Amino acid sequence: MSMQDEPESETTEEGVDYDALESALGDAVVGRETHKNAEAFVVRGDRVTDALSTLKAQGFDHLASLTGQDYEDRYESIYHLRQYDDAQKEVSVIVPTPRDDPSHESATEVFSTANWHEREAYDLVGINYDDHPDLKRILLPQSWTGHPLSKDYDQDKPQIVTLEKHKNPIEEDMEIEKPGDDLDTMFLNIGPHHPATHGVLHLKTVLDGEQVADVEPDIGYLHRCQEQMCEKSTFRHQIMPYPDRWDYTPAGIINEWAYARTAEELADIEVPEYAQVIRTMAAELNRISAHLLAVATFGLDIVGDFAAVFMYAMRDRDIVMDILEDLTGQRMMYNYFRLGGVVWDLPEPRDEFFEKIRQFLEAVPEKTDEYHNVLSQNELFQMRTVNTGYLAPEVAKDYGATGPVARASGVDYDLRRDDPYGIYDELDWEVVTREGGDNYARLMVRMREVEESARIIEQCIEMLEDWPEDEREIQSNVPRSLKPDPGQEIYKAVEGAKGELGIYIRTDGTDKPARFKVRGPSFVNLSALKEMSEGELISDLVATIGSLDIVLAEVDR
Amino acid sequence: MASSAPLVDHISGLLNLEGLLGEVVAGILGSVLVAVIVLLFAAIAGPYMKRKLTAAFTDRIAVDRVGPYGILTIAVDAIRLLTKERIVPENVDRPAWDIGPMLVVISATMGFAVIPFGNGIHLADPQVGVVYLFAVSSIASLGIVSGAYASNNKYSMLGGLRGVSQNIAYEIPLVLTGASAVLFAGSLRISDIVAAQSATLFSIGPVSVPAWFGFVNPFAFALFMVANMAEIGRNPFDLPEAPNDLVAGYQTEYSSVYFVLFYLGEFLHIFLGAGIITTLFLGGPTAPVSALSFIPGIVWFIAKVWGVFFFTQWARSGVPRVRPDQLLDIGWKGMLGLAFVNLFLTAVLIGVIV
Amino acid sequence: MIGVLKSLATTMKHALDGETFTVEYPDQAPEVSPRFRGVHKWSQERCIWCRQCESVCPNDTIQIVMDEDRNGEQYNLHVGQCIYCRLCEEVCPTEAILLTENFEFTGDTKHDLAFNKEQLKNVPWYKDMDPVQARESDREAWVGEGEGEVDYQ
Repeated sequence: MSMQDEPESETTEEGVDYDALESALGDAVVGRETHKNAEAFVVRGDRVTDALSTLKAQGFDHLASLTGQDYEDRYESIYHLRQYDDAQKEVSVIVPTPRDDPSHESATEVFSTANWHEREAYDLVGINYDDHPDLKRILLPQSWTGHPLSKDYDQDKPQIVTLEKHKNPIEEDMEIEKPGDDLDTMFLNIGPHHPATHGVLHLKTVLDGEQVADVEPDIGYLHRCQEQMCEKSTFRHQIMPYPDRWDYTPAGIINEWAYARTAEELADIEVPEYAQVIRTMAAELNRISAHLLAVATFGLDIVGDFAAVFMYAMRDRDIVMDILEDLTGQRMMYNYFRLGGVVWDLPEPRDEFFEKIRQFLEAVPEKTDEYHNVLSQNELFQMRTVNTGYLAPEVAKDYGATGPVARASGVDYDLRRDDPYGIYDELDWEVVTREGGDNYARLMVRMREVEESARIIEQCIEMLEDWPEDEREIQSNVPRSLKPDPGQEIYKAVEGAKGELGIYIRTDGTDKPARFKVRGPSFVNLSALKEMSEGELISDLVATIGSLDIVLAEVDR
Repeated sequence: MASSAPLVDHISGLLNLEGLLGEVVAGILGSVLVAVIVLLFAAIAGPYMKRKLTAAFTDRIAVDRVGPYGILTIAVDAIRLLTKERIVPENVDRPAWDIGPMLVVISATMGFAVIPFGNGIHLADPQVGVVYLFAVSSIASLGIVSGAYASNNKYSMLGGLRGVSQNIAYEIPLVLTGASAVLFAGSLRISDIVAAQSATLFSIGPVSVPAWFGFVNPFAFALFMVANMAEIGRNPFDLPEAPNDLVAGYQTEYSSVYFVLFYLGEFLHIFLGAGIITTLFLGGPTAPVSALSFIPGIVWFIAKVWGVFFFTQWARSGVPRVRPDQLLDIGWKGMLGLAFVNLFLTAVLIGVIV
Repeated sequence: MIGVLKSLATTMKHALDGETFTVEYPDQAPEVSPRFRGVHKWSQERCIWCRQCESVCPNDTIQIVMDEDRNGEQYNLHVGQCIYCRLCEEVCPTEAILLTENFEFTGDTKHDLAFNKEQLKNVPWYKDMDPVQARESDREAWVGEGEGEVDYQ
């Protein structure tokens, strides 16, 4: 399918009137392309803020992702925009820049979330953003030379760090007093080795007594360049183990679904209904285990290191992992999905398997009661978490927050309902939102979501039990090596355990992707940390990180 | 009670030594005995009972590999901790850094000198026993702040600051509530307080309940428990060494022997606090019903002290900790007022009952 | 205060009922499901040296060395580097390489964990669970059963 085809009929039916948008954008637009998920407008490099603010005014207030990539003759930044109110309305903005001077206007004025996305594009691909408030590397060390994902990167050239840079990197921030220093504040490094940062996260904190005056997350300690690894692996088989390793809490199946959904839409692969039901059930089981881990570690942060609730939640999560082990063969890195379905049917004997899941589901209300007893009904816990780490809904939208973090601030955005996949639109369940936006609301949203997931699983089991035996098709017929047509681009997202997990793929006719970009929800949620914790105490900062529930593997990929 | 050092007299009587020599020798032997008992408590509680209790609360099996029921873990842990490398970071303020942990341990063991263990094991019984007790146990905050500030580490400093502010804030309600116990007994002398609590409060048939101050004024008991938990740094007030906020607070830079001193010192303080509670509120080494007084006093004392320890461990697993500013709010605004109310309440109760 | 007392009561209930969720390994070995993916076992009789496993492995963990007459000489699999994704077992046409349920293997150095042919042949079953028997019901499952032609590109 070439780039100049007619737009697909779905989008115009649903009402994104691309022609009207084009005329609204005026002379900023120099071209138009069609991707598999939406139309894209090619915009001039010096009119980026105009174009984006026009689109934002038209309702596209969610900058879902920013992909940087390079071709033989140019660099491109693609801004994927969506609407919080209607996630199926998407539009992309492509900004091409010449190869010898890859720079264009930054979008940070219009969307605050573009700050970190542009830093990543600069870091890995090499595109410069003028007027960016703080364009420095985000995932790689500051002294790195070269941009790994661009075509002229030399892998074999050694990275030499000069002695000058090898010194203590924060020495200039330490208390060697110079005249004019602000002596009231203290600079403290929290992490990367720290019991409470949920992984290797480095926070550069400036403290005024015990109050946080400024916090700047420094990420990249877990960067494995998964995007490049996926670009070197075949679509059909080899990429599928990688998504397991993004959100390893374990919510691997949901990650795999993100990739499966994107690749299946790209190559027009149909998934049989039976496989969709199994996929939904497995994904919701994973969501329960991810949220239980979030509850457990949040309780650990607040109660101290002898927290009983940590072990209770781990015990329950272990039961879920046992069920998933019976189904997929592993407790954490499942590799269960394939393009076109799943790899295995339910284990025999089926009755025992259903019995196991039913036992677990029946115990869920009792267990959530226990968590409420130990956590949310405890007055001391409420003293710690209510009205701390507040995130206003408008700020949440501006920073691109999704998932339980956004839903706890009242933003009603859930891709399972708004952009449905699997059989979510045929089941009876509810999206959990709460006004409040503080740490307590985020915890309550996650606990309610566990109950909703239990409902979904219950309905899936009922469908699976009655499924006639000869119609149990688990994988559709997909060739051994899959080579999608060249020149196609797609951005698709699913509702990961932490938020919107999106993948952008561009094909070039081979069996490996030409560009594979992952939008990690924790990466975007973490960028809102500064807004949430300024002016509060260290203890609140720790509680906020716990309630944001970040997984460094998703942040750094 | 005429003697002001009952155990010393007892021992010098046993050894038949008179005069100054007798006092000195008996004093040393007596102190060693008390210290051994106390350190035994701390050693069993630290590596062993704490883990067993936490495991019980969290549905796990804990130490049970080494020795019967895992009891030899204590010896193994002791060897392990003492043979670790003693790392002295650069730029620490040397004498202050070394003295910190020692002060913590010294103040706790000195406090035990005036606590009656039962069966005559009562090392010293000065006229102002209660005052001495509170004074000595608060020297520990000096040790904490000395170690924290001398460590040349921002985390330690924050932990030390929190520790000191917490100790000061809760010292006053603690002392005031302790003073209400003094009101009850009418004397600052510890043996008088214990004796005053062996009078019968009321009798139900053959069972006579002694007048423990905890029964007479449960409000004071609860208040003292809370203030004590803040003093010793246990949930919900374990901020100074909060591992989630501040890596290890004031203990961050200590390893090997110094860490052992801090660790055991913390348990010694827990037991000291438990000892104070037992003496002032739970009647010291006396039985709860007179029918059971054939069981020696020291057994009752151990049971009560370990009961309080068990309670602190229970709180540690189940109760979240509070934020520093909330802690100070509770201390200065809540507890202080309640302590004064308690004084009036005690005066009323004494007037009515006694 | 009530909430605090409820939390304390809940933790006490757990302490008093005495059930534990952990097991004492190695006295009590854990149960694993039949589909568990552990160390690989290779069978020289079945292997036809088609090299599908080597090409599908995402990690380049399998290394096959052949001589000029295309006879297989070496089959090396680094079980320390492997990510246990099971793609090699899935694409093997003759079930020559299987992932057993065995997870109890150790090595003193990383290089000890690069298993050669002999080591791979000798991997024991875990608790006598033969994975082929255990997974018999799903052995054929990966082959799609849809209509249309299968396109072996």
